[in-house]
Amino acid sequence: MQKTAYRNLLSTLFLAVLCYVPVAWSASHQASTPQVQAELVSSTKQVVAGEIVNLGISLKIIPHWHTYWQNPGDSGTVTTIDWQFSQPSQVSEIFWPIPSRFRLGPIVNYGYENVVTLPVKVKVSPDAKVGESFKATAIVDWLVCKEECIPQQVTLTLDLPVVSAANITKDVHGNTLIEESLAKQPQEIPFEDNLKQVNLEKTNDGMVLHIPDSSLTSEQIQDVWFYPYEWGKIAQSIEQTKTVNADGITLALKHGDAPLSPHESLEGVLVVKEKRGDEVTERGYLIHPKLVIPQSLSGNATSDTKSVNQGSDLGFATALLLALIGGVILNLMPCVFPVLSIKALSLVSHAQHSQREILWQGIVYTLGVLASFAFLAGLLIALKAGGAQIGWGFQFQSPLFVVAVAYLMFAVGLSLSGVFTIGGSVTGLGSNLADKPGYAGSFFTGVLATIVATPCTAPFMAAALGYALTQPALKLIFIFLSLGFGLALPYLLLTAWPALHRKLPRPGLWMERTKQVFAFPMYLAAVWLVWVLAQQSGVNGVAIALGGMVLIAFAAWIYDSTRYVSFKAQIAANAGVTILLLSTLLISYTYLDDVAVVDTKSTVKSDVNNHWEAYSSQRLEQLLAEGKPVFLNFTAAWCISCLVNERVALSQPEVVAEFEKNNVTYLKGDWTNKDTQITNVLTTFGRSGVPLYVFYPTGKGAKPVELPQILTPSIVLDAIQSSL
Amino acid sequence: MQFKQLIATGLITATFAFVSTSVFADPVVDQPAPAFTGTTADGGKLSLDSLRGKTVVLEWTNNECPFVKKHYESGNIPQLQKDAADKDISWIQIISSAPGKQGHVDGATALKLNDTRGAKPAYVVLDEDGKIGKLYGAQTTPHIYVIDAKGVLVYKGGIDNIPTAKKEDLAKATNYVRETWIALADGKKVPHPSTKPYGCSIKYPT
Repeated sequence: MQKTAYRNLLSTLFLAVLCYVPVAWSASHQASTPQVQAELVSSTKQVVAGEIVNLGISLKIIPHWHTYWQNPGDSGTVTTIDWQFSQPSQVSEIFWPIPSRFRLGPIVNYGYENVVTLPVKVKVSPDAKVGESFKATAIVDWLVCKEECIPQQVTLTLDLPVVSAANITKDVHGNTLIEESLAKQPQEIPFEDNLKQVNLEKTNDGMVLHIPDSSLTSEQIQDVWFYPYEWGKIAQSIEQTKTVNADGITLALKHGDAPLSPHESLEGVLVVKEKRGDEVTERGYLIHPKLVIPQSLSGNATSDTKSVNQGSDLGFATALLLALIGGVILNLMPCVFPVLSIKALSLVSHAQHSQREILWQGIVYTLGVLASFAFLAGLLIALKAGGAQIGWGFQFQSPLFVVAVAYLMFAVGLSLSGVFTIGGSVTGLGSNLADKPGYAGSFFTGVLATIVATPCTAPFMAAALGYALTQPALKLIFIFLSLGFGLALPYLLLTAWPALHRKLPRPGLWMERTKQVFAFPMYLAAVWLVWVLAQQSGVNGVAIALGGMVLIAFAAWIYDSTRYVSFKAQIAANAGVTILLLSTLLISYTYLDDVAVVDTKSTVKSDVNNHWEAYSSQRLEQLLAEGKPVFLNFTAAWCISCLVNERVALSQPEVVAEFEKNNVTYLKGDWTNKDTQITNVLTTFGRSGVPLYVFYPTGKGAKPVELPQILTPSIVLDAIQSSL
Repeated sequence: MQFKQLIATGLITATFAFVSTSVFADPVVDQPAPAFTGTTADGGKLSLDSLRGKTVVLEWTNNECPFVKKHYESGNIPQLQKDAADKDISWIQIISSAPGKQGHVDGATALKLNDTRGAKPAYVVLDEDGKIGKLYGAQTTPHIYVIDAKGVLVYKGGIDNIPTAKKEDLAKATNYVRETWIALADGKKVPHPSTKPYGCSIKYPT
């Protein structure tokens, strides 16, 4: 089993190094410097054409001196071997045995002391003829250090006769050295439980590496150290705080000068030193987990760690300010605009009222918005506390919520169309100065505005909310309130500023007409929501929703046509209306599952004509492992800006052509329904909702590029071209 | 997404507050470079603040280190120092080797060494207690830091991208010091603000 593992490793490690050296070279297989005795060894005394032979450079180092590992640590240099063969042959990279570490004051180095053999696998040229001599030449460069360092170079050669496979004999000395070194190769962790894996989580000041395997741990563990392959991923010289218990090993690592980006893997070797009986053994394990940013830290997930110096209080103040601006911008969003238009209309009707009255309307509307945002914040806090994986717009992932909002939009539309009027409250028409329903109307317009605003995550909001979600409860509430205040602000200003609303036109029949016109955006909104629902609950869901709307229309008609009948008849009618509405809700509730029944992926099913594929984490990992470029789009049917971006940017011929030209795989993930996988990815990018656009350039470990939430073809093209 | 950066900044500042309590008070690129006052080889005092308005290069050195020898014997660092002087950039050579350790020299020897090597740094600072070295988290000789005219650290790391002690590698190497100077002169972003330092370990007092 070990053999096959090597063979696999070997096939990936082989380099096409084809060299030819004239045989007129005389040197020995041994060479010495005052500090190091070097020897070129082989596992066999002969070689066979086309077969693999293990060669190695064995270094015997005088006490207190050391040479270096593939990552030398804070100072030092890696040992290099330049191989040349008399018959062109392929040679692997060095199979580095597990290193030790040396601390010199504040500096930590990774390397070897006393004796080390650096083995390679050589595939002997198939053209080598039996009877010929196969000469291997190794120019070995190393730096040997105690406290001072000396760079040294030796040239070693070894002649091995080419024989047929039957005549090969083992070289006991060389084979022992090479086998000892190969036995010290790091291995994959032999998890007893296949589902377990090493994980790496970002913390405030570094990372926590957790190896959940109890077989690794014992009371005899003397030392655990993680040796990274690359500089800068961790602070190499800082002590790694270890916890060893029944759950496995946990190491606290500090960030280095080139910290990992989200999703990037931390690669290296974990060395566990333990005492068994009188013997101290060392085992090395290959470590390659991807960096996960926990939700509590996602706010700084995509941050550049080299930003300017600012206080964290400013971060909060700025978040508040930006939430406010985000809220103001929300007024222009397609989902909110119809609601806002109702308010504008009501303001005109209020123009005849006293300034005080109008201001109160504005304040009550603001309170309605704020109360809704406070409620949402509370809900989020509660869900977060419950450990749910949620994100912004999450409420739209529930078909019940979607249908309820569709009904609401439809009912508001009916009211605007004049099918019925609820005491004139919705638009405030006909209300007198002290009309309570007028205030209630304002309050609930505020609530409505909030409900329909949520799926439009404006760019400002996404960042503010991503930040908010990482904050303690109190700060989160303040950010939400700030956002709500921003949403209410334009209307509040209108009501507070007599000069502004005096400029509004005088009331008249045009108001009735305008009101009726505004009914149509509401119907459209309802249609859109039914479309969203269709993707969540299928054809039956649509039937229920449309049936429910008919019932609502019927109830509205009864309500309005009985307004002027006798009091008793009115009571009966109202009871009928109530029953109708309740049954609508009940039917919807009974027949619509709260969990979407339709496979969400149906909306983003790949088909031949599409230039994209459905997202799956496996597919993404596979593509990234191959170093292929990927464009990632996380969308949802209820996210309008997502749909707009897809239409105006991502489906444009020039973008599609650019994807094709550069072999970019376009992966589309649908967050219309709850999807923890996608929520996790959003979190690693510090987002709480869709849309999210990420471009992974060509090449393994290339840094992903995040695109803005409003796309144009040129933004996408620039992102692709600039990272080529 | 300026907003994000602001948010990030807050969190990161907190992070740094944390990190700075650990062994190394590593200076951070894009942050003000830590202030220091050191003794110069000619017996004077030099404070970093007095050089405000000029680009400053800090070079940790140890004349016996093979990596340092590579860059001095090949003329690479002397040429950089000469170019620095021409561009009105202050080049400060810092020796942090502790007494009795490799590379420790007195002021007169340090100046003489530079003379014989054709090296012309603007200043030579003797840091035998390793305070400045540790303040900057200097690990190797050579280890380079570049500070801009506003006193902000803009580069830290290796002198170039080929970490060997071989002179023949200089021709193919990307010199990060020059690259940083060019970016500063053009008002552009430094292409590689933080790179892997390489060389001998600094012989700090133990």
